[in-house]
Amino acid sequence: MKKAIGDNMIPKEWGFEKGLELVKQAGFDGIELWLGDTPWFQMGTPDSEVRELRRKVDNAGLVVSNVSTGLHWASPLSARDPKVRAQAVRVVEREVETAVLLGTDAILLVAGLVTPEVPYNEVYQRCLEALRPLGEKAARSGVRIGCENCNAEQRFLISPREFWQFLNDVNSPAVGIHLDVGNIHDTGFAEQWIEIHGPRITRIHLKDVMTKRGRCGDQSVYTNLFLGDNNWPAIRGAMSKVGYDGWLVAEMEARYRYAPDQQFYDTARAMDRLISGQL
Amino acid sequence: MGITRRRFLGYAAGVVTAGLPGPSLDATRRGCVLLDLNEGGCFRESVSGYESALTSAGAQWMRADALWMVHSRCAVLMVPAALEIPPPAVRAIVSCLHAGASVILESGVGFAADREFRAHRVVLRDYLQVHIEEPVDLWPDNSSQRIPYVDYTWPRPAKVRDFSRVVPLGRQAGEVIARVDGLPVALKRSSGRGRLIFLGSPLGPALWAGDAEARRWLLDCLRTAGGEGA
Repeated sequence: MKKAIGDNMIPKEWGFEKGLELVKQAGFDGIELWLGDTPWFQMGTPDSEVRELRRKVDNAGLVVSNVSTGLHWASPLSARDPKVRAQAVRVVEREVETAVLLGTDAILLVAGLVTPEVPYNEVYQRCLEALRPLGEKAARSGVRIGCENCNAEQRFLISPREFWQFLNDVNSPAVGIHLDVGNIHDTGFAEQWIEIHGPRITRIHLKDVMTKRGRCGDQSVYTNLFLGDNNWPAIRGAMSKVGYDGWLVAEMEARYRYAPDQQFYDTARAMDRLISGQL
Repeated sequence: MGITRRRFLGYAAGVVTAGLPGPSLDATRRGCVLLDLNEGGCFRESVSGYESALTSAGAQWMRADALWMVHSRCAVLMVPAALEIPPPAVRAIVSCLHAGASVILESGVGFAADREFRAHRVVLRDYLQVHIEEPVDLWPDNSSQRIPYVDYTWPRPAKVRDFSRVVPLGRQAGEVIARVDGLPVALKRSSGRGRLIFLGSPLGPALWAGDAEARRWLLDCLRTAGGEGA
């Protein structure tokens, strides 16, 4: 397995190149690029500048693990407004295009949002209708779409069997799951999600979660690896069982208040322990 | 002759499908017709909703192009999610009404740009004498604690999910058959020898999402309107 961390973890005042140096020094193999989350990688960033990002990643001795985005929180594929849906589709298409330019084969998206206004059954149908053609486009580009399980925030596809059925309904080998082991909270067990989805897992996001703490002000339910309630030996065991040997991507929500670079080193060491099974 | 490729394919498809067996209208019976406005309809899911509701209910129906409709065979004409209503569609609607059919005309203009809304309103006013107000956002602050259901009173009481935005009706002739948050959003009225049922809140997406209440409402509407096989 290989280790990566998101470029949205890089302190904004550091810039991309200094951030890459830190990522490399901390011991990561790759970097996850977040479309729309950083100044250097926006929807309007032209292809030439995306190629330049890749050159910088290469020069740092890293590779791009995958392309992700948080843009679908504001513009979901499940929106009722056709114009918003069109924008959401364009974001996915741009992710695919940039994944090719950046030399990676996986993208992340948050497939749909159930809200008080837009009910579950509509979200389900709309996501299917959007993902079927997007899956075809991604397949033609040699890219896999990983729909992230954002269970509690998304209120959609809460259980692993539900998610399994959803992927069956999409019915595209290019559409799988970008599994976040921190997002399951107390609605289930990450290791069971891994067992159920196995080969459909495109990438794994790592973070820990305090399942009994609700969000309160700026208090996050998420924390650094091994500080929360995830059963890490079971998660590691499930990865072995299904033969997962792909990217592990650190996604820390709570940042160190001081010495932010230290979080990169600590996270990389924790991931080494997870990979080696010394838990 | 100025004809676009899309339009040519539309004609060709109409000619081809007219000869196919399946859900076509029996020559001796009047049935339900779904008028697909294609690019003039803004929610494909609305069209899919009507299709799935009709099919799952075993209703006799067919999809039609405005240019190829036989109005005399139409008992109920459904027009899902209308945005732009091109002249052939207007003619089809008016002809069906004059021939004694019921027309369910669903407006899909809630999310449209201002220019599209104004064009839509003019067509409704000039050709069908339906007066609508500007779209209303039922979820303005996205923090509502209650669901603004659309309450239908005819042909049966039904409570159906809203579709975020509605076009309320202005003061006019006809019977208001649905309200949401006190706003009149659907009406029925006699028109020609037929009956016009105008929906200012799209029903199709609820049908598409499998809302049982919406489906019952539609089927009751079809029965009342005289769609055979409904």
